Amino acid sequence: MTSLLYLTRRVLQAVAVILVVTVVVFCLLHALPGGPARGILGPQATAQQIAEFNRAQGLDRPLPVQYLYYLRTLLHGDLGTSYTLNEPVSQLIAQRLPKTLVLTVLSAVVGLVIAVPLGMWQAVRRNKPVDYAVTALSFVAYATPVYFLGIILVLVFSQILPWFPPQAPQGDTVAQVLSDPAGLVLPVTAGAASMIAVFSRYMRAATLENLSEDYVRTARAGGTRQHAILWRHVFRNSLTPVIAMLGYYVPVLFGGALVVEQLFNYPGMGLLFWSAAQSSDYPVLLGCVLVISVATVVGTLLADIVQRIVDPRVKAGRS
Amino acid sequence: MTAADRFAADSSAAAEQRMLELDDLGVTFTTETGEVNAVRGVSLHVRPGETLALVGESGSGKSTVAFAAMGLLPGNARATGRASIRGTDVVSAPESELAGLRGRTVSMVFQEPATALDPLTRIGAQIAEVIRNHRDLSAKEAAAEAVELLRRVGIPEPEQRATAFPFQLSGGQRQRVVIAMAIANSPSLLIADEPTTALDVSVQAEILDLLRGLTAEAGTGVLLVTHNMGVVADFADRVAVMLHGEIVETGSVEEVLLHPTHDYTKRLLAAVPRLAVAETDPAPVHTGAPAEAPAIGEPVVELRDISVRFGRGRNGVRALDGVSLSVRPGETVGLVGESGSGKSTAARVALGLIRPTSGSVSLFGSDLGRMRSRARRSLRSGIGVVLQDPVASLDARMSVAECIAEPLRVHRRAMSAQERRARVADVLERVRLPRTLANRAPRELSGGQRQRVSLARALVLEPRLLVADEPTSALDVSVQQSVLEVISELQAELGFACLFVSHDLAVVQQFAQRVVVMRAGRIEEQGPTASTLLYPETEYTRRLLAAVPMPDPVLQRQRREHRLAGQTMGGSEVPA
Amino acid sequence: MSAELRPDQAPGTPASATPPDPRPEPEAATGFRLAAGRFTRNRLAVAGLVVVVLFVLFCFVGPYLYHTDQVHTTLTQVNLSPSAKHLLGTDAVGHDELGRLMYGGKVSLLVGLAAGVLATVIGTVWGAAAGYAGGWVDAVMMRVVDAGIAIPALFILLVISAITTPGVFGLIVILGLVSWLVPSRLIRAETLTLKNRDYVLTLRAIGGSHTRAITRHVLPNSISTIVVAATFQVADAILLVAYVSYLGLGVQPPATDWGGMLSAGLTAAYSGRWWLILPPGLAVILVVCAFNAIGDGLRDAFDVRGRG
Repeated sequence: MTSLLYLTRRVLQAVAVILVVTVVVFCLLHALPGGPARGILGPQATAQQIAEFNRAQGLDRPLPVQYLYYLRTLLHGDLGTSYTLNEPVSQLIAQRLPKTLVLTVLSAVVGLVIAVPLGMWQAVRRNKPVDYAVTALSFVAYATPVYFLGIILVLVFSQILPWFPPQAPQGDTVAQVLSDPAGLVLPVTAGAASMIAVFSRYMRAATLENLSEDYVRTARAGGTRQHAILWRHVFRNSLTPVIAMLGYYVPVLFGGALVVEQLFNYPGMGLLFWSAAQSSDYPVLLGCVLVISVATVVGTLLADIVQRIVDPRVKAGRS
Repeated sequence: MTAADRFAADSSAAAEQRMLELDDLGVTFTTETGEVNAVRGVSLHVRPGETLALVGESGSGKSTVAFAAMGLLPGNARATGRASIRGTDVVSAPESELAGLRGRTVSMVFQEPATALDPLTRIGAQIAEVIRNHRDLSAKEAAAEAVELLRRVGIPEPEQRATAFPFQLSGGQRQRVVIAMAIANSPSLLIADEPTTALDVSVQAEILDLLRGLTAEAGTGVLLVTHNMGVVADFADRVAVMLHGEIVETGSVEEVLLHPTHDYTKRLLAAVPRLAVAETDPAPVHTGAPAEAPAIGEPVVELRDISVRFGRGRNGVRALDGVSLSVRPGETVGLVGESGSGKSTAARVALGLIRPTSGSVSLFGSDLGRMRSRARRSLRSGIGVVLQDPVASLDARMSVAECIAEPLRVHRRAMSAQERRARVADVLERVRLPRTLANRAPRELSGGQRQRVSLARALVLEPRLLVADEPTSALDVSVQQSVLEVISELQAELGFACLFVSHDLAVVQQFAQRVVVMRAGRIEEQGPTASTLLYPETEYTRRLLAAVPMPDPVLQRQRREHRLAGQTMGGSEVPA
Repeated sequence: MSAELRPDQAPGTPASATPPDPRPEPEAATGFRLAAGRFTRNRLAVAGLVVVVLFVLFCFVGPYLYHTDQVHTTLTQVNLSPSAKHLLGTDAVGHDELGRLMYGGKVSLLVGLAAGVLATVIGTVWGAAAGYAGGWVDAVMMRVVDAGIAIPALFILLVISAITTPGVFGLIVILGLVSWLVPSRLIRAETLTLKNRDYVLTLRAIGGSHTRAITRHVLPNSISTIVVAATFQVADAILLVAYVSYLGLGVQPPATDWGGMLSAGLTAAYSGRWWLILPPGLAVILVVCAFNAIGDGLRDAFDVRGRG
């Protein structure tokens, strides 16, 4: 399969997924108390205002027709207007999304940089005390709710040991956020913990599986030494499935950001979403869900493309 | 060569004469269910330029001996005794010393070329790695040498192919790359573990020719592990026969293959299906198969101009192209071809598991394409099926009786449990299995027993057609023989027609009245087995037959010389 | 978080291998007994099982031995430190914290178990249908799953919390509906393999129906995969239950669950009242770890991946 053909197919698939997401959001919109009219006119609107609005906007039409209208407004980049902040939702999200991306990308990078070598190390030291200890730690890290971990981190590393500020950087721009690395330490740690747990386990299993592959035996039969086999062959072969899993981990990262931003008062999209939930600011809520989902789909797409670059077999369409 | 090696080489001239010497080698595996002595008291040696074949059936421990000689046993295995390679004892040597030995003094060629190479590393780099493991060359020099090695093992356009990834190569080419890695540092001993078992017969002949040429050139000693007596006859100088972890007979290839002394060797050789050939045996040949039976009546199954495409557009693959064949009542039609020839696809079309892209299938006189699905299903009660894999053919969650009774539950719903039990006991007996097996789980049975259970399930509805897709190719020869015997006896008794798919020309020759030779999705030729396989009309079939190794060293030498002479005149490669 | 993200134990490992040429010796043990043996030899998994049993006893039998009032607020007894009378102190409205741990644990365990099982059931039906049908039906069904996975569960839960406040039953349904996606992918993959097994092909070739293929072969052979998926799903659901109170979706006071106790105690933790967050936090961690350990043990015992 040519690269272009693959890319086209994959993008079409992503578009199909995004369409399904819009259907879900559309359904949520209609599940709102009072329906979309209430969503747009705000909580103070009277029943008569709503009825008039519904007629004017075609909301008394059949649902499929309304869905097409809804898609059209989306295509114009119109996500509605926030009740509480009185600003277009798209504008609000455009301000906040980059900061959330900084947090999630940092967490992912830190997570992978720790998890990948850790998992390989565990595989090499399989069933030795270190392996058991790291396994136990990763079980605990996976099982700890992010907000609980965040509180513990603040209590220990901010209150008891005054090493890091308990609050994330408050700057408006990405540059300002990055200029306060100390403030990012605890949020990024909280965001990366479960990722380290999951991906070290995954890397460990992938490494073990590859160590038992025939090609390792061939390399040994050719006189290649253990560490060279590990780094020249097993490492890359184990990393490919891990990259593929990365795509599916994107929504988990965003979920983590939601909690971390609220906990450390980091003014990203998660916090925007959180405060919108407290004030029932539906346009903001649904706009955020839509944008986060699209970001997830794009993230998955990127992971696939990276995997394709790393693994020539996937490129040939016979992974 | 390090000083230590030189010393070792000088100090024992005897070791120099014996590239490999095993002395009372034993291997014990520690498994979940206890200790298994896979190899016991094995002693043998390989001299320079000599090939010793280690033969035996599955479970004999022959491969374990090969891995023990390389020091590549898995972690739960323990070796005892001595296994010395040019004076170094592999059993007691530390891993670092073994790494210095492997790939330089001793190399290995493995069974499965599909998985033997790192999928993410270019083949040139993998060969260069072995070179640089042992010789102080620059990356550039090693790469150039890798290209040279690829040329020597017969890879066309080696400069370009060196940058290919393993998946871009065919199975035979991959095995050539593995061989290139093995000879990269001119080892004095080559251990080949079933090097051609995963390959088609024509590719097998090429790989054996290549190995023969390379090792003869360099005077390399070879330990060849194989179950195939034809390969032994073609390649080996001496033979050691293994049974249950022990060597039962050793001798020159002529002695062992032509005048075996041990009972087991005799039985083993008697069970090997032999291809009857016209060129070397002009007297009337008895092929084992009954002369073409008067195939009368409407065909039970007929494929008319069948084409099958998988996938669409440019990525589509044409698996079958205009295939027409039929099976008449009571006859056995052998469907032969190499991998990718479409023989299994054709069988699956006949079974209705694959819908043809064009063409029509008629079963018992009715056109399958024009029938309603319910009618089609009841028509299918006249089919029995036996597939290749003895493990995957039976649902592990059912008992043997439940497996066999399943067709009854589909088509004889009214049957009482008691009648069903009686019917199951009856067919078990017919396939020569004890009734007591009925309540066992498939996992408790051997491969041969499982295939007979599959056969019993296929026969429980007294079908008019049996479709058998490589029913014995996963079995050892002695087991294969008994399963084939059961099938032909029952066929004589019950009179069903049989579509028999196989890659093994000798088996088909014994078993089928008519043969259909397939190649790349098309039918190459078809006709009565006796004439078609003795006097083939097409060049392809001739080459296919010539590539089959015979378990007779004298005959096989003549056949090889004849084949190689023919090659220099005609083309060498049999295109897939 | 997803069971699929959990790495599998490699089926074949370099450290041990079965002898390459095993003789066909009949095995006496059945598949189930073999699996049970492997499970009981896995110390971590057995420890997990013990922890789960202990917590069930603690939450469901404990209240009969350690009587506390978890309904009425007792304003004279608020924010007490741990003492002989209140082993883990009291919270801001005077509930005994140890008793509350039992009381909340019931909800956490029940909701987690029910939601995990519900998610597995939905996922199994959806995944088996998609995998068995194949073709465009499969493609459409899997795009729906992709879309579901693309919407982070915590975001959806927060939106729902802004719209409504469900009861325990509603909570189970909501949690089940946001977490069936991963099991559906697992079961689909399993179905894809199983429907092309030789024994299913044989059945189809002799005219057996799809219904029979699914009910007699595909589903029974997926049982171990389903059980393993369900165990991980329960672990994830218990973790998710701990989030929902934090997101404002939890059960309403005076009822509570471990997550509710945790989020109620968050601010108290900054003023040093550790007993309000450490016990419920550790309880969640222990139980989730335990279910994961059991899942790991079951997977290795059934050799779920190796059967592919």
